Amino acid sequence: MLLPRIWAPARIAASTSSVSIVPCSRVLDTLRVARGSAASPTLSFARHASHQSQGRANGAKQGPGKRLGAKKTGGQYVIPGNIIFKQRGTDWFAGENCKMGRDHCVYAVESGYVRYYRDPMKHPKRQYIGIVFDKSETLPYPPNAARRRKLNMLAVRRDPEPATLEGQVVVGDLQVGDGTGSVTSIRETIRDDHVLRGKKGYAFREANWSIGRAGERSDVQVKKFVPGDRWTAWQRSKARKDANAEKRKLRNAQKASKPKRKR
Amino acid sequence: MASVKPSLRQFSACIGCVRRPSNGLKSLDGGSARFLSTTAPAHEELQTETATPVPQPPLPSVPTEAKASTKPEWMQQWGELDPNRVEDKRAERRLIRREGIQPVGSRRRRAAIHRSTMRNVPQVPFEQLPYQCFQEARKFLLDDRQEKLKQIQTQTLRLRNLMAQDPAVSGGPEAKNARVHSMRNHINELVILADINDPVVKKNFEDGLADMNKPIYRHLAQKKWEKHKKLVLDQRLTQMNVVPDILPALDSKLDIDLAFGRKKVEPGEFVESAISEKMPRLRVQSFESGEKLVSVVVVDPDVPVPEKDGFKYRCHFLASNIPISPTKTSIPLIQIEQQDRKVKDPSEKKIALPWYTPWAHRGAPYHRLAVFVLEQADSKPLDVAHIAKTKRNDFILRSFVDKHKLTPLGATLFRTKWDESMAGVMQRAGLGHQVDVEFKRKRIEPLPYKRRTERMR
Repeated sequence: MLLPRIWAPARIAASTSSVSIVPCSRVLDTLRVARGSAASPTLSFARHASHQSQGRANGAKQGPGKRLGAKKTGGQYVIPGNIIFKQRGTDWFAGENCKMGRDHCVYAVESGYVRYYRDPMKHPKRQYIGIVFDKSETLPYPPNAARRRKLNMLAVRRDPEPATLEGQVVVGDLQVGDGTGSVTSIRETIRDDHVLRGKKGYAFREANWSIGRAGERSDVQVKKFVPGDRWTAWQRSKARKDANAEKRKLRNAQKASKPKRKR
Repeated sequence: MASVKPSLRQFSACIGCVRRPSNGLKSLDGGSARFLSTTAPAHEELQTETATPVPQPPLPSVPTEAKASTKPEWMQQWGELDPNRVEDKRAERRLIRREGIQPVGSRRRRAAIHRSTMRNVPQVPFEQLPYQCFQEARKFLLDDRQEKLKQIQTQTLRLRNLMAQDPAVSGGPEAKNARVHSMRNHINELVILADINDPVVKKNFEDGLADMNKPIYRHLAQKKWEKHKKLVLDQRLTQMNVVPDILPALDSKLDIDLAFGRKKVEPGEFVESAISEKMPRLRVQSFESGEKLVSVVVVDPDVPVPEKDGFKYRCHFLASNIPISPTKTSIPLIQIEQQDRKVKDPSEKKIALPWYTPWAHRGAPYHRLAVFVLEQADSKPLDVAHIAKTKRNDFILRSFVDKHKLTPLGATLFRTKWDESMAGVMQRAGLGHQVDVEFKRKRIEPLPYKRRTERMR
């Protein structure tokens, strides 16, 4: 704050002690001055050194809100992955069937109903968020009770391996032949390379590696590349350029024939 | 004393012992008191060491003539190198280089032996080594031991009198029992305190020569087990949730080692199905005196039931009336099964439910197999024929324990999951129809989408 400097009244009074002719318009002024400078002090502002009024000194102002807090209420049905509570730090801890993310958000790991609870046996002061499978259940579970857990899996019968040979089953380390032990009874399985094959529910397609080896099965003859043979290289380059020019001509012809759309 | 080798300087007798001819060199008057146990002279010890079979390949104490002849001349100039007597680094290196054997024991021990043989003095037993502080400490400990022995005497006398007393005089039968109990505990403590400071006891324990019938060795074994192995076992049992799932609480009191044939299994380890097809053998170390009869139960709490979207429990093995004691530590289940086959009388048999090989479906989560050792009430044998009727599926150990009044003494576990040999194992166990059953994760339908205002409501 710039403080005004107020001049001492005594000096002014002294300066006007000598009688002088004063024009009538100035009488009041003179009187004012003679009375003293208490009525109208002359202010002079002095500038002090600048300080940190700009910048961080007054603290961070309010930024946009981060939408923290509860995302699922108690008793609400959630599936694995649903975030239940977003927080800074750990107001709430992850309890039964819940986990805590890297930003301390509590999320569900099982499908079930959300429960907010305290468990003094686990920790005297903390509060937890847990998931129960039944709407009638409450947390915390009784101490030393067997855990309640879900399988979350389906039993599916696999297709038997395509490499079966006349009813002989090759299972892991156990190879069941026709029992004679003769050379022909246990045979190596025949592999049919480019047969269409696929899992149930997927499209029948050739295996990728089989596609990659299509060249071996075809009749295409490929000349061996001879480095330094400019004549062959020029021939191939010319052939490629001619083919591209043909394609371009065809494309342009098609474009010309197509009616242009009005915008 | 620059001329003397550094090691000799260290081991020369201290001034106090030189000035005062210590009584330690001669044995104290043999009279009434029994002292801390004495060792045979060290050279005799050496002889017994070389005589008894040693797990490491036996080391020759003196290089043989045949070997000396094959070595070059400059090596032979090194002279005699005895693995029990080399003390400086140069001699050790030469020994390793020439004979290809390591020196025996610590350098301090080798120096002491070397020095004593050099001086041609008879080997001094360890507890009579002439170091003043050591002998003074030993005197103090001997006095303490005498004190403890006297206390044990008085306490046993008091206990005997108390037992003979009429309960009415001692304030009622409960009060008398409590007093007897606490007096017994006190006497046991004193017995251990009398021997705990004996260095030879410690040496015997560390060398594996402990007699588990003696309380001090049982105490030392228990302390060693509790320091590390028990902690690891308890941690595995709790983090694998064996304890709340199968039994509500378990205070491990036995050191259980599990092995399949020669393969040792750490608690919680995955065991291949081909290996766990046969029965394991248990080594159970008890720390309480006396013989007990125990039951061994193996439970699998992770059998998947897709119809219920849950799990059920299955018993894989059940045997009873197996005696264990601090000296009888081995429970070889395969041998017990063989004995059972020879025995005609069904009440003499020990195995109620024979070993059912642990197996798991492909794709299913791993199965924990918990092995429990349960003490039978008052060490009374159970009726094995009656127990053999318990069902394997939906086997609840809590109710089994309550029904037959068993106390859990200890547990261990191993795990199993689908592996390459599992299919063969299942075929041989008669589960061929389950081999191609695979478990796949259920797809969880996402929740229906809610608009923002609906979500906030």
